[in-house]
Amino acid sequence: MRSGDLMARRLRIAGILVIVGLLVEALCLVWSKPIAFVVLVCIGGALIGLGVLSFLYSLVSVPPHTADTSRAAPDK
Amino acid sequence: MPTFAIVILVLFSAVLAGVVVVRPVITASRAGKILAFGVFFFLPLFSLVAGMENEMQRSESTAFCLSCHVMEPYGKSLHIDDPGYLAGAHYQNHRVPAEEACYTCHTDYAMFGTIQAKFGGLRHLYIYYLGKPPQPEDIKLYKPFNNRECLHCHLGARSFEQGATHNADPATLPAIKANTLSCISSGCHDTVHNVGRWGDKVKFWDGGS
Repeated sequence: MRSGDLMARRLRIAGILVIVGLLVEALCLVWSKPIAFVVLVCIGGALIGLGVLSFLYSLVSVPPHTADTSRAAPDK
Repeated sequence: MPTFAIVILVLFSAVLAGVVVVRPVITASRAGKILAFGVFFFLPLFSLVAGMENEMQRSESTAFCLSCHVMEPYGKSLHIDDPGYLAGAHYQNHRVPAEEACYTCHTDYAMFGTIQAKFGGLRHLYIYYLGKPPQPEDIKLYKPFNNRECLHCHLGARSFEQGATHNADPATLPAIKANTLSCISSGCHDTVHNVGRWGDKVKFWDGGS
């Protein structure tokens, strides 16, 4: 798999986790029951946290594009 | 920050994240990378912190405490039309903020009082949803009510310091301040909520929130 595709795939996973976490948070904010706080922290917080970590992981785990590397290398 | 503003921020963040999910190619440019960092790192964490802060604030509200069924009689006791009922008299006369009546008296005014109150709330949630909640009249405090919570407001107040009953015996006031004589001990302010012991004669004040 090309590094660009791998990056896009990981960004999608991170994005979906963040989006679901944010939607859970939005629901909890309009749901005025005591359990909402627990759901927000345990489910919403966990999903958002996982999404953010996935995003950070995608930044450091995917090798740079070959084209970019060759461009960055000094001419000899 | 008001709840609706946080909800809008959360939904806005979700929409922006959706744009990047649908078209990840936009992250190839420098601006796209900045956008991705914003929507996948900064905005979600900011939204989460703002949401948690909002929920923490909400957990201090009277409405929040009374949203559990077992607490309904305690909420009703705040409207008892009898000044002898300590909780009702405080609530109706705004000696405590009406919108945070429960929390004002039932938090510890010590260094970690707020944290302890939150953990106590989590314990209540566990019992309410996963355990067997007691009948309202069987609910007891985990530990005897500390005078410190009363003195947080009343210490130094003329009605407390110069009250006739408090000064009838010279040993009374120091004992109250040292928490060796409870404010809610028998014969003093011992009628607080009295859930389950109201009888037929009790009347309710229909004012307030």
